[in-house]
Amino acid sequence: MSKSNMLKTRLKNFSSIWLEKSFTKNVRFITFGLLLFALTSCELPMGLEWGSIGYNQGYQPEQPIPYSHELHAGNYKIPCLYCHSTAERANHAAVPSLNICMNCHIVIPGNEHKDAIDKIKAAYAANEPIAWVKVHMLPDFVKFNHKRHVQRFGTPESCHKCHGPIETMARVYQHSSLSMGWCVNCHRQAENNAPVSCSTCHY
Amino acid sequence: MENIENLEPNKNQIQKSEFWLGLEQYYEDADFAKKAENEFLSSPLKEDDGNDGVARRDFLKLMGASLAMATTGCIRRPVQHIIPYAQAPKEITPGEASYYASSWFDGHQGYGLVVKTLEGRPIKIEGNPAHPMNRGGLPARAHAEVLSLYDPDRIRGPRRNLLNKARTNFEEIGAKWEDIDTAVSAAAAKGGFAVMTPTIPSPTTQALMAEVLGLFKGKQYIVDTLSMGSVREGQRLSYGKDVLPRYRFDLAKLIVTIDCDFLGTYLSPAEFARDFSSRRKPGSDMNRMVAFESLMSLTGMNSDDRIRIKPSQQLDVVLGLIHAVNQKFSSHNVTPAIKEYVAQYSDVSKKIGASDKVWNKLVAELVENRGHSLIIAGGLTTETSEAVSLQVAVNLLNSILDNDGSTIDHEGGYLTNLGISADLAGLVADMNAGRVKTLVINDANYAYTLPRSSGFVEALAKVDLILYTGNYNNATGTHAHYLIPAGNSMESWTDFEFQKGVFSIGQPTIRPMYDTRSLQESLIAWAAKAPSAPAKLKVSWFEYLQSHWKSDIFKKAGVSKTFDDAWYDVLQTGVAGRTAGGSGSKGSGRGFSGSALSLKRASVASGSGYELALYTTVQIGDGKFANVSWLQELPDVVTKIVWDNYLCVSIATAEKEHLSEGSMVELSVGKTSVKVPVHIQPGQADGVLGLAIGYGQKGIGKVGSEIGVDAFQFAGYQDGRGVFSGLAASIKKTGEKYSLVSTQTHHTMEGRQIIAEATNEAFVKNNAAGIEKASLISIWPEYKYTKNKWAMSIDLNVCTGCSACVIACQSENNIPVVGKKFVMQGREMHWIRIDRYYKGEPASPDTVFQPMLCQQCENAPCETVCPVVATVHNEEGLNDMVYNRCVGTRYCSNNCPYKVRRFNWFNYSKRAEPLHMALNPDVTVRTRGVMEKCTFCVQRIRKVTGEAKDRKEKLQDGAIVTACAESCPTQAITFGDLNDPSSRVTKIFAKLNSYAVLDDLNTRPRVQYLSKIRNAERAEEGEQA
Repeated sequence: MSKSNMLKTRLKNFSSIWLEKSFTKNVRFITFGLLLFALTSCELPMGLEWGSIGYNQGYQPEQPIPYSHELHAGNYKIPCLYCHSTAERANHAAVPSLNICMNCHIVIPGNEHKDAIDKIKAAYAANEPIAWVKVHMLPDFVKFNHKRHVQRFGTPESCHKCHGPIETMARVYQHSSLSMGWCVNCHRQAENNAPVSCSTCHY
Repeated sequence: MENIENLEPNKNQIQKSEFWLGLEQYYEDADFAKKAENEFLSSPLKEDDGNDGVARRDFLKLMGASLAMATTGCIRRPVQHIIPYAQAPKEITPGEASYYASSWFDGHQGYGLVVKTLEGRPIKIEGNPAHPMNRGGLPARAHAEVLSLYDPDRIRGPRRNLLNKARTNFEEIGAKWEDIDTAVSAAAAKGGFAVMTPTIPSPTTQALMAEVLGLFKGKQYIVDTLSMGSVREGQRLSYGKDVLPRYRFDLAKLIVTIDCDFLGTYLSPAEFARDFSSRRKPGSDMNRMVAFESLMSLTGMNSDDRIRIKPSQQLDVVLGLIHAVNQKFSSHNVTPAIKEYVAQYSDVSKKIGASDKVWNKLVAELVENRGHSLIIAGGLTTETSEAVSLQVAVNLLNSILDNDGSTIDHEGGYLTNLGISADLAGLVADMNAGRVKTLVINDANYAYTLPRSSGFVEALAKVDLILYTGNYNNATGTHAHYLIPAGNSMESWTDFEFQKGVFSIGQPTIRPMYDTRSLQESLIAWAAKAPSAPAKLKVSWFEYLQSHWKSDIFKKAGVSKTFDDAWYDVLQTGVAGRTAGGSGSKGSGRGFSGSALSLKRASVASGSGYELALYTTVQIGDGKFANVSWLQELPDVVTKIVWDNYLCVSIATAEKEHLSEGSMVELSVGKTSVKVPVHIQPGQADGVLGLAIGYGQKGIGKVGSEIGVDAFQFAGYQDGRGVFSGLAASIKKTGEKYSLVSTQTHHTMEGRQIIAEATNEAFVKNNAAGIEKASLISIWPEYKYTKNKWAMSIDLNVCTGCSACVIACQSENNIPVVGKKFVMQGREMHWIRIDRYYKGEPASPDTVFQPMLCQQCENAPCETVCPVVATVHNEEGLNDMVYNRCVGTRYCSNNCPYKVRRFNWFNYSKRAEPLHMALNPDVTVRTRGVMEKCTFCVQRIRKVTGEAKDRKEKLQDGAIVTACAESCPTQAITFGDLNDPSSRVTKIFAKLNSYAVLDDLNTRPRVQYLSKIRNAERAEEGEQA
């Protein structure tokens, strides 16, 4: 028998033994894998695309107070940074505290939405914060820095890039997918001169 | 490890590498070899012993079920909320840290701090660079204070103790401050009011205390748990005034320490380490340290020559040195009587077994370096029955050598340990005589720390009303009628004068988390209830503090600004008076009182028996911090053992008693005996037993209770002073075995070139002495780093091994604690570890410390084996670890020659509330199944580079400081950009004694080390390590 034949036979024997052994040994795992596949593929008919699981694009939750960006940012043209002032100086573009709302609403009772504004006034008077529902959710292992982006592109352009036509939203929804591919697509543009190494965002 | 006498030193191993990690490696123990082969020491199957854990199969079943539910049910992520402030505080920007200058006193040592807070909660403590003592360095214990603050086991409000007759039960019920205040005020009015407290080096608190005690006609008893009474008494006898002088290591060229661990635990270690290292530059001006030690201490490990002595020989050594020096020149301090007395110590060097060469060299150098040397003794291990005589003899030697007024500064002394022996004796006598009716015990756990024979605990029964301000219902708490927790130091205002003329402020950095009240607030509350209270006391504690600074402290500190300006200055810098950079006056040499030295010695019972010496560890101290898990899991700086205390014995003692590592023995001193495991410590004096204090406490919380054995029970008591060393002891082998867990034998690098060491003499001839650089070619194409090129240099010559960086890193990077059992399996999580290498004869080896962290190799072996590209190189040369990509194959760790990767076997990061409040939100909290490692504090790099970009400025060298470098008391760690030709790190990398560990592997580490230089003669001079 030539050397190459010997090797082939050995390989054949080895692989068949290995397959047999591993199958009997790992039957539970293989079953588990099949089950997992079956379960996850059930989602397809439920109207979800594979690539978008967990991205939450279009998420538009109801808020405790029906605050309208359409009214404030659209009609009245209040600049983004008036309320989200930390966007240009911190990582977070924090939701404004109630005292910011009260800067105006101390004199504006509101006609159509008096109930909502009364709610704010009451909460402010009682020094009780309002629990807004978070719309844009990044996982904890992603660090996003608003300041860098706002300083690079200015407002409202930089806001629009990710948050979409926010001044038209009566109730805010998630405009972009906020997936990693979506982030990296921008970072890869040569004109943006942005880093793409992992530790830019993950650390 | 087998019985030590059965093992032969393995000659091959020693030839291969002169350095060894522990005795197991020296004797080539079979277990050690097996451990070294395995990356991970056991199977990961179960989270716990199996009784309560979830086994893998069950886990899979559960997973399947919950996955099925998840896929058919809700597909969205859980709803999260954003809760902004109702009324936002102006100084807070969400997610942006605020820093407050403050200071902290651990009961013995004081430090200036900068506290990092986020949304009103402290998350990290750093040293204050403006503080003239620690100058930015901060030891491990101070870093861990942030965990003490969030300790779930703290008492959360005033409690009334349900005392049983023996006062041993740990049960209590809630109480109201109002009721307690009324009770105390009424009781105090009847007289017999007393406060028992460790030194509070706070000028305003002392002023308040004096006023309140004046009002109640009460008395303050200052009792320090680790008293420096003998040092003060020695100073008083020698020079007439009782002071704790300031030791100027920055001015000393020759240092002789007699069992004084000044780099680890004595008086002000961070300050001493900084000063000591400032004179450590190799060359003709390099300082030299000779240590006479009974136990192996951090200081001894950093010494150039080390001579082993017994505690009973401490005084012999000093008297022998006086005699030897006196032979060379005569000093007016040496009276004929002293001369005659010390003549009998002419043969000390032979008695202690020091080589003539080392001894004669030392004597010659002492004579030569008059006025530039420093002889120091002190600390628990010198607290023998002859402690005061030892101090007097040391003072005499310093006076003979003209060091007093030169390296010993008696003007700017410490105000941190004021307790003298008369206080404890006086208090016990007063309590027994019924003169103390109301006793406030402040902070310290006296029932545990004071010598049992002092009669303190028994005397407590004679006091009508006892209040205890400690934060745990510990041994002392169970004797108190009321527990009035003072809360954490970061919850209230205070001020300090640690050193004469150095004033610092203690700012609160968080609102009190629970219903607690500081001692000062309590004193004011009680005083305000008294009918005759002056208006001055009817203010808040903060107002009182401010007015005292206005009227008193700013004047003393020489600040001439308006009060508001001066106050804002002190809030910003944290200090007033002498600041960093100023050295202060020294005072001139004092006249030594010739009659101070007692010319007679009590006969010490030495002979066949052993001498027990108690010692303080760097991490736990007197036991106040025993409930802090970071400190329990910090490997002991000397032994590298975690979560335990143990009886240290020398190799010869172990051979004589047929002991091996972990053998249980019954240790007896007089009638007290306890079973304790044995640790065999190279470098320890034969016939000496060492046992650490601070362990074996009760009622101090879930982490620290009942760990190790209580060493304080062996302490003797003599004239109001505890005797902690030189205690006649005996040991008996019980035949049982105990598992001591040491990290030093984990993650070994198997005897390849790791440490480069040379003597000072060899270094001066050739800066590259001891270093062999490999010249290799790479088969990888060269990558051009065009942006920043981060690198770190670590100076082994000034690294003292104090382990401050380990806890600083743990705090900065959310590193979990795993517990003793998992450390035993090699699963500790520290990203930076301090490797300890011994060299030479096991009985008395040299030691080198080496901080080991991710080397950020340019050709990183970990990266090429990751199947999911979870660890990759970035354009700045950082070895990025992407947690969310990691699937936990652990191939990277297997392939890492430096053994610096850590795997999260279980959900170690789960923390009991409110410990999660100490987490740093800038760093991802890693979960189960993920590999992690040092990132060069990439979150800090991103923050600082981002800020430079915002300002459109070039990044300054030194603007980025990693957590380890920031905390280092000796500034051994330098971080910077190699692409910047003027950066410090570029210059250090160009030095001839800068070397990369295992550079023959061509990994091209971005961490380089400066070789260890020893200012002593060694046989194998200049040889390759």
